[in-house]
Amino acid sequence: MKDTVIVDEKQLIAKEKANNPSLLRTIWREITHDKMALGSLIILIIILLSAYLSPLYIDQEAQHRVNFLNVWKAPSAEHWLGTDDGGRDVFGQLMLGTRNSFTIGFMVTLIAGLLGLTYGLIAGFYGGKIDNIMMRILDFLMVLPSTMFIIVFVVIVPNYTVVTFVLIMSAFAWFGKARLIRSRALQERELDYINASRTLGTPSLKIMFFEMFPNLSSLVIVNMTLTLAGNIGVETGLTFLGFGLPSGTPSLGTLISFARTPDIVQNKWWVWLPAALLILVMMLCINYIGQAVKRASDARQRLA
Amino acid sequence: MLQFILRRTLIMIPQIILVSIIVFLLAKAMPGDALTGAFQGNPDVSQEQIQKIREKLGLNDPWYQQYGRWLGNAVQGDFGQSYVHKQPVTHLLAGKVENTLLLSFFTLVVTYIIAIPLGIISGRWTDTWADKIIVTYNYFAFATPVFVFALLMMYLFSFVLGWLPYGSSVDIKLEEGTWDYFVSRAKHLVLPVLSGALIATYSTIQYLRNDIIDQKLKDYVKTARAKGVPEGKVYIRHILRNSLLPIAAFLGMEITLMITGSIFIESIFSYPGLGFLFIQSISTRDYSVVTALVLISSTAVIIGTMLSDIILSIVDPRIRIE
Amino acid sequence: MAKKQFLLLASLMLVLSVFLAACSGKDDKKTGEKEPAKGNDKGSEETKGEDAEDASAGLDFPLSVSNTAEPIEDGEMTVALVSDTPFEGTLNRVFYSGRPDAEIMTYFDEDLLELDGDYLITNNGAAEYTVSDDNKTITIKIKDGVKWHDGEPVKASDLLYAYELLGHPDYTGTRYTFTIENVEGMPAYHAGETKEISGIKVSEDEKEISITYTEATPSILSGVWSVPVPRHYVGDVMKGDLTIEELEASDKIRVSPIGFGPYKVAKIVPGESVLFERYDDYYKGKPALKSVVLKVVNPVAIIEAVKKGDVDLATIPADQYLKAKEIDNIELLAKVDLAYTYIGFKLGKWDKEKKENVTDPNAKLADKRVRQAMWYAMDNETIGKELYHGLRFPATTLIIPVFASFHDASIKTPSYDPEKAKALLDEAGFKDVDGDGFREDASGNEFVLNFASMSGGETAEPIAQFYIQNWADVGIKVQLTDGRLHEFNSFYDMVEADDPKIDIYQGAWGTGSDPDPEGLYGRTAAYNYTRYTSEKNDELLKAGTSEKAFDTEYRKDIYNQWQELMVEDVPVAPTVYRYALEAANKRVVNYSIEPGTENYRPWKWGVSE
Repeated sequence: MKDTVIVDEKQLIAKEKANNPSLLRTIWREITHDKMALGSLIILIIILLSAYLSPLYIDQEAQHRVNFLNVWKAPSAEHWLGTDDGGRDVFGQLMLGTRNSFTIGFMVTLIAGLLGLTYGLIAGFYGGKIDNIMMRILDFLMVLPSTMFIIVFVVIVPNYTVVTFVLIMSAFAWFGKARLIRSRALQERELDYINASRTLGTPSLKIMFFEMFPNLSSLVIVNMTLTLAGNIGVETGLTFLGFGLPSGTPSLGTLISFARTPDIVQNKWWVWLPAALLILVMMLCINYIGQAVKRASDARQRLA
Repeated sequence: MLQFILRRTLIMIPQIILVSIIVFLLAKAMPGDALTGAFQGNPDVSQEQIQKIREKLGLNDPWYQQYGRWLGNAVQGDFGQSYVHKQPVTHLLAGKVENTLLLSFFTLVVTYIIAIPLGIISGRWTDTWADKIIVTYNYFAFATPVFVFALLMMYLFSFVLGWLPYGSSVDIKLEEGTWDYFVSRAKHLVLPVLSGALIATYSTIQYLRNDIIDQKLKDYVKTARAKGVPEGKVYIRHILRNSLLPIAAFLGMEITLMITGSIFIESIFSYPGLGFLFIQSISTRDYSVVTALVLISSTAVIIGTMLSDIILSIVDPRIRIE
Repeated sequence: MAKKQFLLLASLMLVLSVFLAACSGKDDKKTGEKEPAKGNDKGSEETKGEDAEDASAGLDFPLSVSNTAEPIEDGEMTVALVSDTPFEGTLNRVFYSGRPDAEIMTYFDEDLLELDGDYLITNNGAAEYTVSDDNKTITIKIKDGVKWHDGEPVKASDLLYAYELLGHPDYTGTRYTFTIENVEGMPAYHAGETKEISGIKVSEDEKEISITYTEATPSILSGVWSVPVPRHYVGDVMKGDLTIEELEASDKIRVSPIGFGPYKVAKIVPGESVLFERYDDYYKGKPALKSVVLKVVNPVAIIEAVKKGDVDLATIPADQYLKAKEIDNIELLAKVDLAYTYIGFKLGKWDKEKKENVTDPNAKLADKRVRQAMWYAMDNETIGKELYHGLRFPATTLIIPVFASFHDASIKTPSYDPEKAKALLDEAGFKDVDGDGFREDASGNEFVLNFASMSGGETAEPIAQFYIQNWADVGIKVQLTDGRLHEFNSFYDMVEADDPKIDIYQGAWGTGSDPDPEGLYGRTAAYNYTRYTSEKNDELLKAGTSEKAFDTEYRKDIYNQWQELMVEDVPVAPTVYRYALEAANKRVVNYSIEPGTENYRPWKWGVSE
């Protein structure tokens, strides 16, 4: 039995490989044919590169250092985007913050996506009673006061790091995805190829992840791209409440939540505005790319 | 239908009990209780006295005993006493419900008034300049945190232009029931409502636009066009009917989200409502209030989804509720 | 369907961020500044010792408005309650908890005994007092013509009622304090054993009340409770008219409370505003204003509201000081707040059995030279000057300068001096053995301190970071406990429980109006979070509240010695004292924030236009 599994897997992987590039290629073709999407992709890559490579040109130690003689300084040659309430360089924080925020947004999207996918696939694949039970559980989870949960977890977690934060956020971000996947999987399971596979005696798990999933992948990708846009800066509100990231972790959300008095909004714009704009730009970029991806997944809408 | 409602209501009861148990456990997990905050920095009160009060309020009992007591009372409509506010929770909530309902109702209405036409325009005339403006506005709305936006609105309309009040829900000097009182209440609502609504449009616009684009290419639309149905009619008769449906379905959800979602607006505009009370009660560990609020919002969510299902089945006969 | 869930997710996200984006903090207001700020200026002058000279230089705030015009007849005034939360509206001194409620009550409710600038009781108010020869009994005599807003005279038994409520077995509020407990017969009453408090006697004519204490202590002169509760109006718990719980929630406290103060409550919009009208029969005379409106204004709007002339009086948050300075239709008043911030060094444990603090001689920070060094290493001057523009200034001793008679400005306290800190550490044997830039302890082991600090308040994070840098500069490695700032409740929960994850912490105390530090630093004080004890300390604290201490000179001497001891032993290192800032519109007259003066009383306040 074990052997056959391995063989099957290999076959399937091979099939996957044959299958996936075509989707990727379609996406690529679609992007290159849409100036907006292409431009967006280039901008996004530039932003992310400069953010992820920032440790190379930003001294993190110095960045972290508070200097009260230098607080709230307006942008200058020395500090391109001025300084914050601790006299720290805002540009440096913006770069490190982009890195952290994007990583967080990406991880949350990914983990929540995986959770939602697994849950939705299982419910949708089996349907009937199992589906019914799983959906009731989901309904129940959605009723829970997630804000309170998050706050409680943030407070009681003994060793609070970015990883913990990502896990906590992900735990509450997958409900909607599960529903989406499940509804598509329900439609899918009625189709012939699944039935055929079943009659052949293919193990359920394999049908789910290697046969059903590829057919849902475009939906998943589209959905993930769009949620990714929303998940950048997901820590903003929490930071504002004092339940945000561990201190010493610059993030876009931290920068934006400086904007809490009219004075800062109006006269110390350099602290929060660049971060807000950067989030906006990244969201727009991801959105345009996402739309191209979406078109790639739906043959009727393709430009290319 | 009646059976459906009945069954859903029955399912609701264990759900709500479970939610309340979980909230109780969460409350226990948080460090400190209502007394930690109230007595901090009050060295004139002895520890024994504080312990005695804890004892009196039953805070030292194991959670299931506290829960049992609470449940017993809750069934009779008594949600206990708020330690911070020194009054029965039901009384406390009743005082704020009106404000919250007003605020969320109007925010919702205004959100739809803005979002639905914009979503339709954007979806119908894709890639025109109008669409581009709408999409940009929409992303702007999504990327702007509510607190920043509310501050900007307040600054502009209350301070620079001086058109609207910057806080409270009414001018205290006006006699209740008079025309002026009514006008004052309305005026005090404008800023909080606009600040919330203008940036809450995001999901509706985004959804409508995407869905209309999808629907446009569907076969039934093509058929309609081929039959020579005028473009305007295609949209009104066919596309919108399908696209607006889920919005109606989400109305129930949306309402409940609004009730709990106005925390920041409430705080900035000093507009006392339930949303802010929730966060405040969590941070002061005023758990009788927290549990009551969670209970109310959970019930609202459940009823909201039920309403959504009912609405859906009414507008779309294909969907039948078992 | 895809969109449906996207819509849902997006809206969840939005709601989530809105949810969380709220509430900038009940928390930061609670950092210990419990008592409404009262203070006086004499102290601030004196603190300007060598260390404080620079930091507070250039800050010379008046305590009274300069407008000396005659107040107009029937003026109206609007006062801001600066807060980001609605007020709770428990408008009774026995039961209230929030600061905004206290502020509301100053307009319609009063103490029978007025306080002077040193927070000691006087005979200028609605009643007079005498203290018996053994200093154990105080007799309070209500003056004629003091009437509740409903026309009933204020009776001695109304004051008795307050004591009956405070000590009542069902009372769950925060004001059953030592001075209440100290009343003879109170513990028995509190335990429910008797229905009467044996130590309180009311005269036949309902004018006089005498309160006898178990122990004589000078704290009576600043701490005696003299706020009556209108028994006839709110209902009598003692007769079983209603329960304490019903009383707390009663409309007679929340909707239409009465007092005997200068203004009566005309209307309340719950949580947001209160309208007051002149009380013509006020015992001191006719109040100057026809009406007063108090309304909650969020701190974010306060500057603009003041600038617009919408509000006449408002407290100004320290971070908006520079903005407030630019407004020309207002005057800024300020006085030193009854509070100080400090760094505490954990030195032992609380013994639950014995109910006392036990100092551990092997504690990480047992060597006082290290603690002194850490004090020398902190640059509080820069924090005060740069971050708060002088609104905070380096603290010196643990009795704040507001208590002019007890604060000892002559004590030489550590000020920023890293060299001195290094020398002290060298002396203590804390040297960098392994060359990593940080010192090891006297026996060569790694020395890392865990620092707990509270979140909330704008500058919490950079300040914590700044101190960590300061200490690193002299070679002490300090890291934040759990790598983050802690929320109010968790912070105090850990500090209180002597959590081993905390070696040092930053806290703040509101000192109340009694200078006695026993409750915060005594051997049996649970709030003595550092768990510092010493015999000398016990001795001095005991002497400070002994009968002998009714002699102010003696008490002063004792407290000077105590302050010196604290500077020497450094269980805590006070960091900054603070100014409380207030803005008054230029049309406001007869207004002062100096306690004890005539214009400090609301009935004098008026407007000139």
